[in-house]
Formats: sequence, structure tokens, C-alpha cells
Amino acid sequence: MNSDFSLHDLAEKVIRIGLSKGADQVEAYTLYGAVRGVQIERGSIRRFTDTSNSGIGIRILKNKATGMASTTIFSQESIEKTVSEAVSLAKISPPDTNFISLPSDTTPTPIIPDRCDDNISELSIEDFTELILATIQEAKIREDAIIGGNFSAGKGERYIINSAGVDRFSMQTSVSGFLSTKISEGDDIGSSYHYDAQTTLKKFDYLSIGKLSGERALKMLGAQKIDTTNLPILMDPETTYGTLAPILANGINAFNVFNRTAFFVDKIGDQIGSPKLSVFDDPLYPGGVDSAPFDDEGVVPKKIQLVEEGILQTYITDSYTAPLVELENTGHASRFSFASKPRPSPYSLNFKNGDISKDAILSDLKEGILLIDSSLESSGNRPQISDQINQGFYVKDGEIQYPVKEAVVGCTVYDIFDKIEEVSKETENRSGHIAPWILLSPIRISGGK
Amino acid sequence: MLDKLEQALNKIPLSPKDFLDIRHSYSMGESFTVRNGRFDSISNQTMGGIAIRALIDNTWGFTTIVNTDEESIIKAAKKAIRIAKTGSKYTKQERNISDKWVYEGKEITKIEIDPREIDKEAKFEKIIETEKAARHFSDTIAESTSYYQESHKEEVIVNNKGTKVETENHIIRIGKNVIGREGVKMQNVTDSLGGTGGWELIEGWNPEKEGLKAAEEVEKLISARSPPSGKMRVIMDPSLTGVFIHEAFGHATEADSIIAKRSILEGKIGEKVGVEQINVYDDPTIPTLRGSFKYDSEGTKAQKRILVKEGVVNEYLHTLETAETMDLEPNGAGRTMNFNYTPQSRMSNTYVGPGDMSLEEIAEITKDGVYLCKSYSGYVFTDKGQFSFNCQSGYFVENGEITDLMGNVGMTGLILEVLNNSYAIGNKWEPAFKGNCGKGGQWVPVSGGGPNLAVTDVVVGGNS
Repeated sequence: MNSDFSLHDLAEKVIRIGLSKGADQVEAYTLYGAVRGVQIERGSIRRFTDTSNSGIGIRILKNKATGMASTTIFSQESIEKTVSEAVSLAKISPPDTNFISLPSDTTPTPIIPDRCDDNISELSIEDFTELILATIQEAKIREDAIIGGNFSAGKGERYIINSAGVDRFSMQTSVSGFLSTKISEGDDIGSSYHYDAQTTLKKFDYLSIGKLSGERALKMLGAQKIDTTNLPILMDPETTYGTLAPILANGINAFNVFNRTAFFVDKIGDQIGSPKLSVFDDPLYPGGVDSAPFDDEGVVPKKIQLVEEGILQTYITDSYTAPLVELENTGHASRFSFASKPRPSPYSLNFKNGDISKDAILSDLKEGILLIDSSLESSGNRPQISDQINQGFYVKDGEIQYPVKEAVVGCTVYDIFDKIEEVSKETENRSGHIAPWILLSPIRISGGK
Repeated sequence: MLDKLEQALNKIPLSPKDFLDIRHSYSMGESFTVRNGRFDSISNQTMGGIAIRALIDNTWGFTTIVNTDEESIIKAAKKAIRIAKTGSKYTKQERNISDKWVYEGKEITKIEIDPREIDKEAKFEKIIETEKAARHFSDTIAESTSYYQESHKEEVIVNNKGTKVETENHIIRIGKNVIGREGVKMQNVTDSLGGTGGWELIEGWNPEKEGLKAAEEVEKLISARSPPSGKMRVIMDPSLTGVFIHEAFGHATEADSIIAKRSILEGKIGEKVGVEQINVYDDPTIPTLRGSFKYDSEGTKAQKRILVKEGVVNEYLHTLETAETMDLEPNGAGRTMNFNYTPQSRMSNTYVGPGDMSLEEIAEITKDGVYLCKSYSGYVFTDKGQFSFNCQSGYFVENGEITDLMGNVGMTGLILEVLNNSYAIGNKWEPAFKGNCGKGGQWVPVSGGGPNLAVTDVVVGGNS
């Protein structure tokens, strides 16, 4: 809890002021975070940070028009001014007849296990540093390894109150670490990284961050250019999640569906990918970094099946978009910051595993590319993917031959979903993000050879 | 505020070798977005607080506060000193900030027409009409968006070496993003106008013309040819040249990456990396561009940087710390997003100097390849020297002529090869790219540009 003032009292005050100034509905969204951070440069500590941030976002509805204002300054004068600004913007804003109401969900707030850990809140700088130094030691796979990165530990609080009845509070702790390792042999450079984020210290696998970062950097030495050709792509679980999750986040987002820019418009009940693809979203996954007992409008979400054997089951919605796509509010409102308007976004996706081992998939691969901890992303709202291979290996007769450099994958998001050929029985769980290895049938790859 | 920060600074116990700076930042802004005929966002933002940095015994300590009273500042400064001292036993590298570089000044960005004095209705009208013109163009237009943004930022920086700087910067922007769709085929066109200054920078935005232009381009792109794949000759338009040089070279000259041994350009000052005709600049002092400023977030006076001179690496982008480490004069590249962050070495307005060829002449010597235009984004791995960026649209170049339109596509290349592979530089120069650059979680406004630039052996990632 922030010791200087009560964010809850502040939010309540905002509601009162907003209504007194003539608003039809008022919402106050407040965030507070206290974070300690450590920056690593060339294998030792460069900087310690101890920061606390807070902010309030105010949404005012007046005659179906919206005005928003935000501030990080919590003086009486600043709050009054910010509410007035939001009210005056709502008064001059053209009405949006699609808007119905802020949510009024008053169901009890569920309790998510392993969401807060006092060991993180109370972690001393000395203990945190010792942990980081041990991680660096793991990454130091060779004396000349160049190691850099950032670690942070902290807690965040979120209050959402609106005049329609929502009054929610949640708190979460988190610890995260990112380490990158670079190894050189003359002009040949091997570089890689690893990352982990957890809500509890006991699950934070800090040593693996260093170990994998170092080992992968070594494996990236000797990268070669390849020919332009069509090749199957084997994605490790991080690549599966990093590639498929953003496609779904765009493709089934009700705001994009309503605007007809979603990848999967009018596709509920249709086949949108291989029958081997099944995905559900679990907002209440215990200890998940992206889990939450309520969304960014205060609505309690539920676990929902999104794709079943390649068939799209539903879209994800919030209070604004649910009526537009004629679905119930699934509680997926998400804000980029306290100053932003909410939009639907998934929490923790779980991609169902298959029944073949990852080793069998790899050994059966005559020729292809193995992607490690990467993502193939489309830019903007377009379905075209044209993205460089960052951590990829050329595979021949089931054996990894060498890392690949200067190559681009060219396809569409629809290709990625349709070309799922094999799904491994093994999955990896990264704090609630669960994904298997996936083999895609041949895709165009432009090479620098 | 300057007096208040100085008074607080004078009460903080420091030894001559220590460094401590206090940076107060206050910003306010407005942003409005119209999407498909409805106001999607209409908001006002204010943000204020103080950042305190201490360099004690080779280690940095950093704290932030939102209260601006003297007691809070001193308390936060002592905390920054304490955590730096605690951490110093774990630090192996030597770090110092010199007494040599002290700056004093006050700089207010010149604005002819203060946007805060323009009625909101006038701002609304520009984006409403832009969005409407694009949306009504044809049924192909799935989503039409237009936005307006203004921000006003004040920074006051003092440090114990004697720097005292106050700045006031104003940024304004109006833009459009139009998405066309036919079945599973989608294309979008995005563009904006604005920079560092006032309403005068966007006054000439003609909503109907801009909306129609974007819609027409999108309509054509939907039925354009698929981009090719493989290694080929690429001609870039001035906007794409800006993004290309930003990603392919600019990031690798940021001296914090050099010091951290994470840039492939480490130790390359004086080495030839490109053809003799190539000159690359980063210049925050050009008035009105999106990445312009007079003092950086460490209080250092900004100056024009020549990153590549006649094909040879000439200069890196420095903060106070990196300049001291390399025993050079700081060149004012220490930028931050807001008071919650520490300064990093960053670009501002990055561009390639002009050459002497027309686009037609470049196409003629290219013979076969692609002519690519505008960009959505790009990124780079500076440590291994591999970059990637993409274009919004392009044309085939066949038998020395620019021919059919093609859709968007991504490209990749290697930093140490690409400038040596440049074979033609255009004679028309334009700072055409206006965007934001992300690094370590911080986004700062930048611009980029240059002439048409032709490079051979670029890997183009089409699907045909």
C-alpha cells in the first residue's frame, strides 16, 4: 500500500467531483508501482534504481460522449483540474451512439493464488544483487563473454472505481530478469538472451536466465547465409507463443472485429487453422504474470476456449465492444497505461499439446529451419509477415547444422495457422504462457546467399 | 523551479569526485483520434516529477519522486546516493563525470501559433474531415483513422558540476492511417505532418486531400503485385532512407552500446564502412523537425553529429558518461522519455547527405530490382550487426524503369556490408520520416530522411 495517501480515497473523490460537474458516468483508474531495478553492463553492476510511480486516468461520459484526462500529480488542485478537463472534453466531444454504459460488475473478486509474495517486496538490494551475480556467473560460459541485462523486483497496486458500481482493488508482485550474452571469435559473433518473469521469488528461475543466455550465445557462433527457398519451420515453445499469441490478440479482438480489421472477422464457428490447433485463455491462472482477478474496467473474466481443433469459438470483448459484436462481455479490457482507453486483449494463452515428441519432430525433419525464442510478427494490422530470422538454425536430416543469418520469412498470418503440421506432446509453461513445439509446412524464406 | 533545485542540491553532501543531477520534468498534452466516424480517443495528459541520479564510486543510483518540495528532493537524493554506495562494491568498471563540461542556458522552442490557443473544434475539424474523406472513398476502406497530438514539455536540469539548464519544447503532429481490405487481403497507408513547433507546422494540412490520397493509395495497394523474395537491388525513397539509416547504422553509433561492447561499430572510428559518397548525420539543431532540441536531458548543449564522413565512421552519439569514458566532448545525445527514466545515448534527426543523381538515373543503372517507399518500423541487433525494416509499398524496377506497384515487404541486412553496397545517391533531399524510436522501454520523437539511396544485395522477404 502506498504510504503517502490512499489511492482508493483519491479515486472516490474523482467520482464525486465528476458527478458534481454534470457527468453521467465517471470512472477512476489508478495505478501505483514501486520497483527496484539493477542494470548489468559488461558482467558487473552499473546502476541501481529505486522508483515509485503512480497515475490516475479519468473517464467521463456525458450524453454518450467520452472525455478522458490523466495525471501523475495528486494535489487537490491537480485532481480538480484533471476532472474538469475530462468533463469539458466530454461536453464538446461528439456522441458515440455505440456506447451503452460503463460496466457494473459487482461479483466477488476472485483470489488468484501465488499473486503476491512478501519475499519480493522485502528483498534487500544485497540479496537481490547476490542472486543476479549468480545468474551472471551462469552466463559466463567463457571468460571473454560480454554480459548485459536488467533485473527488477517490485509490486503494483490497481484500483478501479466507477459510478455504475464497480469498486475493485488488486495487488501483484513481480520479479523479472533479462540477460544477453555475446561471444566473439574474430569477426564471428554469437549473441543470445533469455528472460524470465514470475510473481513469486521461489518460481523465479534466475540461474536458467544466465545458463540459457550463455549456452545459446555459444551456439549462435558460425552463422551462415542460406539460399532463398521454401522450407518447413520448427518453432520452439517461446517462438510458438511469440508468433501465435499476437496473431490471436489481433484476430479475435472484438474492437478490430467491429472495425473489420481483425484477421478473423465473421469467423466464429469457422475453421481458422489446422485441426491440431486448440487454444484457451486462462485469466485466473495461479501465479501467472498476466493473470488478473478483473480486467481494466473491473469486470471479472473467466477461462474461455478460443480455438477448438482449428475452429474459432468466440471473440474477446470489453464493455464497449461486447454489444457491438453481440457477445457477452468476456472481461478482457486492457489498458496500455493509466492514461489509455481500454481495448480487448488476452491474458494467459494455453496452446494444447499434441501427441508426438519434439525430438521425433526434429529427427523426422529432412530439411528446415528451427527457430528459438523468436517471433514472426506482422507489422501494423496487416496479415503479411515479412520478418527477419533472429535466432534460427538450419536443419538437415534431423540434425542442427548451423545458425542462420540475414534471412527473412515471408508469409501471412493465415499461412502460420493453416500450415501447422505437427504439435509436440511437450509444452513449456512460462508463468502461465503455455505452448508446445510446432512444425509448419514449407514457407518462403529469403536468404542472403 | 531552477532556484528550488539548486537550493536542494546545495544541501546534499557530496565529495568532489561524486556526480549528482536533479531533473524536473513537467509535460502536458492533448490527443484526439477519430476512427470510422467516431471519436475513439479524446484525452488530456499531465505528467510531472523529479528524477535524481547519483554516480558514487563508479555506480549509479537513481530515484524518482512526484513531490517537488525541498525535503522530498533531499530525501530522494540521499536514497540515490545510498543505493549507489551499496552497489559500488559489486562494480568492476570505472565511471566518472567530468568537471569540464558545464552548461548554462534557457531555451524555449519557437512557436508562431501556440496550439493551446487554438479552439479544440478547429483541431477536431481537421481530423474529422481527414477521416471522413478516406472512409467515403470506397468500400475497400475498412478502417479510417485520423489523429491530432500536441505536447508541451518543460525540463529543468541542475548538477553538482555547475550545469543549470531550463528548456521548453513543443511538439505537434497530425496524421492518418487508412486500412483497406478485400477478403483476407489487407494493406494500410500511414503518414503524418508536424514537428517541433506550433500550430503553424500543421496549418497547411488539407484534410480532404490527405484523406483521399491515403485512400487512393490503399485502394491501389490492395490489387498490387506481391513483393518478390531474395537478394536484390533496392532503391529507397527519402522516407525509407531515413528509417534504413536509423536502423542499419544510427543505433550502432549510440555510445552506450559501444561502451557496453554491444555494438558492431565498437572501435571503428576512422574505419571505412561505406562508399566514399556516403555521409550520415544526426542533427538535433535543425529547427522544426520532430527530433529537434537545444539541450538534452543531461543539460548538454546539442550539436550536429557527423556519424559517417565520406564512408568513414566519424563520431558516436554521447552522453556525459560515454564521452568521459572515451575522453571526448559530450555531443548532447542524452535523451529520456520522461522523469521516470535515465538518459540514454539516442538519435534525433538522422539522415544521409545528398548525392547527384535523379531517381530516373538511379533506376536506369539499377536495371532490375525494387523501388521501395515509406516505412512502418524497423529494429536492429547492434551486437551482431543485423537489422530489419519494412516498407509500406514499392514498385518493381524492370529493365531500368520503375514499373508495377507492389505491396509492403520487410528487408534485412548486415551493418558492416550495407553502406559499402550503396551504389547510387539521389540529388533530392527530404527529412521525410517522422516517428518515435524505442530503446530500453523509452520512446522518443525522431525524424529521418535523405535522398533516394540505392543499395545492392539487400534481402527482401516477399512470399513470391
